[in-house]
Amino acid sequence: MSIVAYAPDDLTVTVTADTTLAALQQHLAPRDQWLPVDPPNPARLTIGEIVDCDLSGPRRYGYGTVREHILSLRAELADGRLIKSGADVVKNAAGYDLCRLFTGARGELATVCEVCFKVQPRPEVEHFGKVEFPTAEAACEFVEKLDTSELTPTVLDLHNANGAGPWTVVVGFAGTREEVAWQRKETERFAAMTDTNLDYEEQFWSTTAAGPARKLSVLPSKLAATIASMRGVTSLVARAGNGVIYYRGEDQGTGLAPAVKLMQRLKHEFDPDNQLQARRA
Amino acid sequence: MVYECDAYTMEKHLPDVVALPRSTDEVVRVVKLCAEHHLPIIPRGTGTSLSGAVLAVDGGVIIGTTRLNRILNVDYRNRRALVEAGVPNLWITNAVKHRGLMFAPDPSSQPSCTIAGNIAFNAGGPHTLKHGATTSHVLGFDLVLPDGDVVWLGATADGGEDVEGCDLRGVVVGAEGMFGVITRVVVRLMKTPHAFRTMLAVFNSADDASHAVSDIIAGGIIPVAMELMDQPITRAIEDAYHFGLPTDAGAVLIIELEGHEAGLDRQVERVTELCRKNHSRDLKPARTPEERAALWKCRKSAFGAIGRISPNFVTQDGVVPRTKLPEIMQFIYDTAKKLGLGVANVAHAGDGNIHPIIFYDERIAGDVEKAYACSTAIVRRCIELGGTATGEHGIGVEKAELMSVQYSADDLDAMQRVRRAFDPEGRCNPHKMFPGGKRCLNFNPRRQVAI
Repeated sequence: MSIVAYAPDDLTVTVTADTTLAALQQHLAPRDQWLPVDPPNPARLTIGEIVDCDLSGPRRYGYGTVREHILSLRAELADGRLIKSGADVVKNAAGYDLCRLFTGARGELATVCEVCFKVQPRPEVEHFGKVEFPTAEAACEFVEKLDTSELTPTVLDLHNANGAGPWTVVVGFAGTREEVAWQRKETERFAAMTDTNLDYEEQFWSTTAAGPARKLSVLPSKLAATIASMRGVTSLVARAGNGVIYYRGEDQGTGLAPAVKLMQRLKHEFDPDNQLQARRA
Repeated sequence: MVYECDAYTMEKHLPDVVALPRSTDEVVRVVKLCAEHHLPIIPRGTGTSLSGAVLAVDGGVIIGTTRLNRILNVDYRNRRALVEAGVPNLWITNAVKHRGLMFAPDPSSQPSCTIAGNIAFNAGGPHTLKHGATTSHVLGFDLVLPDGDVVWLGATADGGEDVEGCDLRGVVVGAEGMFGVITRVVVRLMKTPHAFRTMLAVFNSADDASHAVSDIIAGGIIPVAMELMDQPITRAIEDAYHFGLPTDAGAVLIIELEGHEAGLDRQVERVTELCRKNHSRDLKPARTPEERAALWKCRKSAFGAIGRISPNFVTQDGVVPRTKLPEIMQFIYDTAKKLGLGVANVAHAGDGNIHPIIFYDERIAGDVEKAYACSTAIVRRCIELGGTATGEHGIGVEKAELMSVQYSADDLDAMQRVRRAFDPEGRCNPHKMFPGGKRCLNFNPRRQVAI
């Protein structure tokens, strides 16, 4: 578990895959920098796991998933060879982008060993506010107003902890103190907000008693209709601005993976004898 | 001849056939015919590539996307648009700007370069510094595989942004058209920022300007763009267009900050302070939208202005870590001087992405070789400094041999595996990207003048 290289003036950092997200953030903090990716449980979650599943958290609306922040990576192929893809600079058009291919591939094509990220200066101020609504529909209307306004939140979430009770919209702003203050004031024109934090995310992911968390991804405009059509859901957190819903309860079905034949051909090229799965287990 | 090369004119070869289909179905029919006869296929937009990426090295069939040029649907609520592959980049922003939206990637060729061409090279532009390159702004597209099968990769026009399985979309972006022919694309639209601060910072030397760039990034400020132009290029632009640029300055920076009005001026103050610290002698803010547009027009006219001062030129596109910018600039001047060639520099300095423009005259014996040597030396130095051979122009035929400098044999083999999965016969845009391909570079100057 280690930081391989950190160039704060270039805003780049390279870490081994077994480094936890929390350890990485700690290393960046003294220079007032961060990797703006916030999946739950950073103290336990490793960079390798985050990259394998292309994870993100509430700040996805503002900063994207982890794939947006990877500059290069080293990976071990099924035959044991070590390869590098990408370059440790912020722009690179040389060769195929295997970083994108391996990010989210769940270790099916190669085992990620080391990752170089582009990091960012920490915003001067971050602020989270919430508004509660009696129905999902009313909450989604508010989300749509913000999403189509000139405001630029970094968090635009919707959650409903117990499958009952209020529907809470969480709005986050980040940047200079002046712009955050201005954006908060503008948001108040749509609804009165109370200060909050992002603890609901940890709560959702740590409440495993209600069964596994599942995911739906829809157009943001279809969020209200999708939630209305869901049955037997016990808890729900949505990246409302992205149209991504995480839920526990009855399986609502997922989309079919596209281009299956192409995926099989890639699997055959990279791991013909299916060794990677066994190695991971 | 239009189809014998792209904007990289050092190598030329004609295809056997050029097809200009009007629909996905017509593309499929052409591709299947080529598959039957084992002919190379070369997808091509408007040929603005600077790396010989659409050169028909071995003949074959060029499939041009210029007639696939319709914007099919704009979804304002979800900020995305479905467009055909040959739609020029700038058309998208022009179609949606009345609703406060834009398509972010802004290469200098944006009035003519196509969206599928942007995908092929993961095109960037000055504003990539903050907004990211094409891969961050394309949600999904179809792909006619070299065997004629059609697959949709990534998000569909009415589907969610997360798709099950690997990011196959992501590996096609930047693959230089070697995986098949794209015909339709779903792009992400961004909210146009409300406030801008654009300024021209004037320096006595390119070295001072590069140090200022380095300090601004290290100081935790990420402007939306930070463009460097040195004296030879400012002079060329000034001679051609009379924008009023200072021709006695060693270098100028166009710095742009954007966002919400609130707080922007405090960032401008900080940037001003860091420019002064690095001896900037003048800092001119653009006071009106017209002045801002004029500054950007200067930058984007750079390549056009060169035609007036040199019969031929070749440009490079290496990237270095931003702190190495002063070092690579010095190397560029020294190398060109040693070879007796003229050189002018524009750079997406905030990204560490250099674009030295090396002058040569193909009518003078030995000049082509010298230009090639100069250009190669610069790229090699970028790689040595921990950077890359290309930030946005791609490898094409031009830099294929440099791939083995930047990557190991195993790295390249892993890339070939991906290629085999998409194109087992290696028929799609062959002789590109990988070392050992066939070249057309014969160093036999022909009486032809670039641009």
